[in-house]
Amino acid sequence: MQEQAFRFGRARHLVGIAGLPTAAANAVGVIVLNAGLVHRIGPFRLHVELTRRLNTSGYPTLRFDLSTLGDSGASGESQTRTRQVCADVGDAIQLLGRQAGCTQFVLIGLCSGAQNVHTVACTDEKVAGAIFLDGYAYRTVGFHLRHYLPRLFGPARWLRLLTRPKQAAGASDSTPVFAVERLPQSTVRADLGHMLDRGLKLCLIYSGGISRYFNHARQFRECFGRVVSRPGISTGFIREADHTYVLVGDRDRLLDRIEQWIFRNFPVEHEGDSS
Amino acid sequence: MTNLATPLEAETPLYFGPRGELFGLYHCEGTPARKAVLLCPSLGQEQIRCHRLYRQLARALAAEGIAVLRFDYYGCGDSAGASAQVDWQRCLADTWDAANELRRRSKTDHIIAFGARLGGSIALTTAAAARFTELVLWDPILDGKDYVARMDASQNALRIDPKRFSTPRQATDAADQWLGFAISARLREQLVAWQPAPPPVPTLVLDSLAPASTHNRRSLGTEQLRVKTVQPATPWDDPGRLEMAILSHTLIQAVTTHLRELT
Repeated sequence: MQEQAFRFGRARHLVGIAGLPTAAANAVGVIVLNAGLVHRIGPFRLHVELTRRLNTSGYPTLRFDLSTLGDSGASGESQTRTRQVCADVGDAIQLLGRQAGCTQFVLIGLCSGAQNVHTVACTDEKVAGAIFLDGYAYRTVGFHLRHYLPRLFGPARWLRLLTRPKQAAGASDSTPVFAVERLPQSTVRADLGHMLDRGLKLCLIYSGGISRYFNHARQFRECFGRVVSRPGISTGFIREADHTYVLVGDRDRLLDRIEQWIFRNFPVEHEGDSS
Repeated sequence: MTNLATPLEAETPLYFGPRGELFGLYHCEGTPARKAVLLCPSLGQEQIRCHRLYRQLARALAAEGIAVLRFDYYGCGDSAGASAQVDWQRCLADTWDAANELRRRSKTDHIIAFGARLGGSIALTTAAAARFTELVLWDPILDGKDYVARMDASQNALRIDPKRFSTPRQATDAADQWLGFAISARLREQLVAWQPAPPPVPTLVLDSLAPASTHNRRSLGTEQLRVKTVQPATPWDDPGRLEMAILSHTLIQAVTTHLRELT
């Protein structure tokens, strides 16, 4: 299978690469959003490896650049970034649907990409699943205990603490986790609940690279409550990995998890499969 | 040729090469191009860090009436192949294919190559075969052995970087990789063995290396060479900026001005 390059979108301002396998029928389309400012190939080519793996298993994919990121330009519209992201992903859904014939989609995003996935998954009826990599997280009491208790008993840590320069004014434990505006914890919790009510399948995979505000698998429940115990949601914590999966082995383990989750929740019906 | 509707329409994403495996983006504002520039990317993380700058440079040159092709080597970016399959000889062959693709699209035989870091080394090595008429090299790597040693050291430092990993990682976890990308023993050997030859065509070297870096350009000779210093220094090797984009308006201005003045 060869990938295809597209210029698309309502102002033909978006650039993306589609992987369009022929063998699968009724497969969901998988769309990968930008991680921060990195263009569509993803950090260390994570998105290329991910989409190609899924293509091999029969899933059509699209990795693309949102407006003004990577090789995509501005749409020329005057609207908020949130509306722009929704419209861009809407364009991507339309393209992949037209090219591959799929009607349902899974969105994947890392960091700010996860935030954008959240925004779109809240409203777009064609989104059937979402994978949040290092998505929304909030420091909890449990986080603070796990973070500070071990430090209480280490003299070297005390020495470092007492001798380090003071933090800049305003920097505190309530420092926003995302560089851009983040949603309140209660909103995110309610949003996740509503997504599950609508039948979406959700997968949250967080890494050890965000240990400034997330440090244990238990913290999913501490952040989002009982919603994470519902059947449609899956969580995972890869403690040893960094935020962008710089090591090949960590990246492979992440891709294994994503692939298995998609296989489990959105199995591909190959021609000849009994229904 | 007719004028295209918008600058964005003038940027065409495409696959090319004998088996259609290479991704490229062709920039042409529509009027017949007076000359054309092939932007040869670096490898690995430097390619990602320079993506934005390459795009800005391509657009600036296209606005001057110059046709531009950006592309990814096999195993890089959006091109086919896995990162571990990146191969020096294949990079040279891909550059040759890209030059021909640019020649075919722009309908000009006057192809100038620009390359940053290893992209500069590749442009230099393939200059005669790809029939480049001029080279613009930005902080090119000129000592393969030294480059391999530095990448190994950076990779070793990365695995124990407390800002990245709460627990240092084992050497085996980080083996056969450079800063996020799998590398083959073959590529390592190819880079160690690589020796630059003096450029066969007029060459401008844009030097933005930090003062403490090695600026040894003896291997390039002096006959075809011009060197221009670009400030501020580019933080190529700063581990704290591994995932930060390299941006330089000075560099874009220097290249654009230089190419505008070329007859």
